[in-house]
Amino acid sequence: MVKKQSIWPYLLVAPAVLIILCVVFIPVINAILMSFQSYDLRRPKDIAFIGLGNYIEAFSDSLFWNALLRTIIWVVFGVGFQFFFGFVLALLLNQSFRGRGPIRAVSMIPWVTPGVLIGLMWRWIYDGNSGVLNDILLKLHLITDKIPFLSQTSTAFPSVIVTIIWQGIPFFALMILAALQGVSHDMYEAAEMDGATPFQKLIYVTIPSIKNTIFVTGLLRIIWVANSVDVIFNMTSGGPAYSTQTLSVYVYNKGNSLDLGYASAMALLMTLLLLLVVIPYLKMNFKEEK
Amino acid sequence: MKKRHDLAKRILFLYLPLFVLMVFILFPFYWTFVTSIKPEEELYGAVVTYWPRSVTFEAYSKLFTTTVNFLQAMKNSLIVAASTTVVSLTASTLAAYAFSRYHFAGRKVLMSIFLCNNMFPTVLLLIPLYTIMRRLGLLYQPASLVLSYTTFTIPFSVWLLIGFLNDLPMSLEEAAMVDGCNRGQAFVKIVLPILVPSMVATGVYIFMQSWNEYTFAMMFTNNDTRTIPVALKSLIGQLGVQWDLLTAGGIITIIPVCIMFFFAQKRLVEGLTAGAVKG
Amino acid sequence: MKKRNLAKKTLAASMAALMAAGALTACSSGSSTASTTAAAAAETAAAETEAAADSGAEADTSAEAVTIKFRYWADNTDYSALMQDIIAKFNEENGKGITVVGEEQPWDGGAYSENLFTAKMGGGDIDCATWKLTATPLFVNNDLLADLTPYIDAWENKDDIDDNIYNIMKEAGGSDAIYVMPWNVQILYVYYRPSIFEAAGVEVPTTYDEFLTAIEKCTMDTDGDGKIDVYGFGMRGSTGGQEPWGSFIHGRGGSFEDMTTAESVAGMQDFIDIYTNGYVPPTAVSDGFNEIIANFKSGLTAMTIHHTGSSAGMEETFGDDVSAFAFPAGDGQWTSMGDTETVIFESCENKEAAFEWVSYLASGEGQKMWCEGTGNVPVSKSLQETDFFQNNRFMVASIEGQSYAGILPILDTTTEWVATTWPNTVAQALTGQITAEQCMQTLQDGLYQ
Repeated sequence: MVKKQSIWPYLLVAPAVLIILCVVFIPVINAILMSFQSYDLRRPKDIAFIGLGNYIEAFSDSLFWNALLRTIIWVVFGVGFQFFFGFVLALLLNQSFRGRGPIRAVSMIPWVTPGVLIGLMWRWIYDGNSGVLNDILLKLHLITDKIPFLSQTSTAFPSVIVTIIWQGIPFFALMILAALQGVSHDMYEAAEMDGATPFQKLIYVTIPSIKNTIFVTGLLRIIWVANSVDVIFNMTSGGPAYSTQTLSVYVYNKGNSLDLGYASAMALLMTLLLLLVVIPYLKMNFKEEK
Repeated sequence: MKKRHDLAKRILFLYLPLFVLMVFILFPFYWTFVTSIKPEEELYGAVVTYWPRSVTFEAYSKLFTTTVNFLQAMKNSLIVAASTTVVSLTASTLAAYAFSRYHFAGRKVLMSIFLCNNMFPTVLLLIPLYTIMRRLGLLYQPASLVLSYTTFTIPFSVWLLIGFLNDLPMSLEEAAMVDGCNRGQAFVKIVLPILVPSMVATGVYIFMQSWNEYTFAMMFTNNDTRTIPVALKSLIGQLGVQWDLLTAGGIITIIPVCIMFFFAQKRLVEGLTAGAVKG
Repeated sequence: MKKRNLAKKTLAASMAALMAAGALTACSSGSSTASTTAAAAAETAAAETEAAADSGAEADTSAEAVTIKFRYWADNTDYSALMQDIIAKFNEENGKGITVVGEEQPWDGGAYSENLFTAKMGGGDIDCATWKLTATPLFVNNDLLADLTPYIDAWENKDDIDDNIYNIMKEAGGSDAIYVMPWNVQILYVYYRPSIFEAAGVEVPTTYDEFLTAIEKCTMDTDGDGKIDVYGFGMRGSTGGQEPWGSFIHGRGGSFEDMTTAESVAGMQDFIDIYTNGYVPPTAVSDGFNEIIANFKSGLTAMTIHHTGSSAGMEETFGDDVSAFAFPAGDGQWTSMGDTETVIFESCENKEAAFEWVSYLASGEGQKMWCEGTGNVPVSKSLQETDFFQNNRFMVASIEGQSYAGILPILDTTTEWVATTWPNTVAQALTGQITAEQCMQTLQDGLYQ
């Protein structure tokens, strides 16, 4: 780390910072201001400053609390399994075998698939009448009656979580695969000479060598998944009976109804929640640097 | 070599898990494809067919001959995604290098702001963003999308690259600088080659984000500049989904990107050898 | 090679910096946009109404070429092509130098209206657009729509459209002004399969109670394996389901004005009962348009409720083995009138020219081409009387329903109520989380907050 004063770092970050500042600065400030107003564009004449009114409303809104709880489940299971399968896939794709190139390419498909299509295709697969998943389960004699996956409050949420897991595997796989390329061979050789098993090599060599990547990708993915709307929205719109309504979907629904004040307040609350996850990480990150 | 001895082990630890994962990953894609070549009456039947009784490729030709104008949409998507990748990756790499290797006032604040940038749902930013694009005279032009996608991909890209850079031992550049290189040379000669796989990965991330984005694309484009997601979405009306066209469009969207990725992933390996030589 | 690489990078970086700088200067002026556009809109509004009053129907600006930007959505690629044909025909034949430029936008599950709103609030240059009545309060409250009353009053074909339709337009705007130009309507009726009715031994129901009985009787296990193969009714529990649902509420004598009356609750209870008794597919809670049509087409359901928009597809699948009846009367009778209209925005600079175009769609050749091509019910009385519309069994069921067809109360809460409150609350009731009474109370509070 270079500590002496220099103009270089500022020049290097300038393009990125400028682009971001000029595009999102005003909209974000605008949204923060809206959160303190009864900013409902359906009733523009009633827009007024109401202080913490929207926040107080959120705290007494049972849909908000339910959505918050659901968001936590959504992120923990969604990101957790994405990471697990992505990590496994990266390790597999890092080995040499015939057809590795094509398989690496096709394993990116969930990520390439347009979001518009993902929700609809999965909805179609889960369909309770002519869906293929029910057909497969029936043929395997795992079930006797078709399950209306997205129509029951008990099965709808797990079903959409499976979809988000499917969609997120390639991201982790790719990022971890890239990081694995930087792991020095010497360390594996040294470990092998010490008689380490493959599993020990994984724990003591691979993971420590790519831990920064794991942390960063995990963190980014948490933010991304917590904010993701399109999979749930295209599959269930948050229903049935609000059973798949995460906080971001709730914000999206409110935003679409143009109750922007309340939506912004909830969005800010969610940002604060995410900061609870991010700050410890940032602290650890900055501490380690010193 | 080892291969023959460990065949059972390889099946257990490589082929079997790979097969299971790939089935999970690829089945929806297969199903999309099958749907795209099924005639409509087979789609809703009580009997689910795993391969259509009569195959039709009509949807594919309809995509290009009807009002969907898919070719134009693909071209637009490609232009937007490629430009975004170049702009965003460049800005991100420079910024990430600064964050990773320099200690300067405001560094922590900037890094934290970057991370928070994407926490805010875009649906709440749309009206002012639309105004900004109109004021800039970028409305209905691909540049409006490049600018917004760059904005929303830079923060993650910077953090990804910081992650990769921090995993690279600093001793490499220090050695080069002892040898008389200045920092710029050390970056270009030593860091950049090792960073190639990570940059490819980050570039893929940027490309995918801009390739698949819907909300901005729908707001900021018109018939001539609309991208694939908007074209696909226009196939879902009040009277239902045009499954054949939608899935055919999906397949056509996926295939070129997969081919591109096939070539990009070779770079992942090149980076490996470059790193190994230097290390 | 590395040098070239670096050069490429600097180029890209400077490009990015340039773009950023350009954006920054624009942003500083961007914040004041909202207020200036609002002021400008008010100004032009005053000027326009004046101009409209004395110019009347005859606009003698024929020499000057005028471009009108028209935004629309198309429900499928055929409709999209049809709209482009109508635009081309209008441009060719209007003789007043008006060029309509059509911009298609996705329907986006109904978010079309919100997207249009965002564009207009952001100062987008759209002159006129296709429309859903439910969006009217939002746009009117934000002073975005042009008052069409003076144009319609001066229009020679004014009387070709029923007064009742104009009244509905007025109601949606919340005043005596007409902001929305009628275009076409869709009246919901019940599709049924004659062959299933025969197998179940039921006649076409003439009362609401007979309708409920028919639903029950048509639910059958046809192959004797102990599982239901045909359900009596395809219930729409997802977004949009409030339309057929309204017929049940009114069938028991309830109403939208007060959904908490004993009659309204009884209608809700009927709706719950046919679900819990298994007379509808178990997926009903989340079934939307796609599913109810797919289930009907695959023979899974004996009846379902929709409008003429799907009739061509039905005939293609079943030939003569599909027919329709208007929703029968009980203590009350109601069916939903779907609607598609057009509007002109306050920001439009050539409102006369825009009106030429939207009136072409409402009663001219545009009306004929569109309604014949899509199978929607025309608003033009003279067109309704033509053979094309009189000789179609589905159109007849539609026109029969016209006398008691209605719309949901159009309030500023309606869009949210339709999009989230209704489907989620009804799903809670269907799955037994809340009672019919609680459900109706929530729905009442949600609509009239």
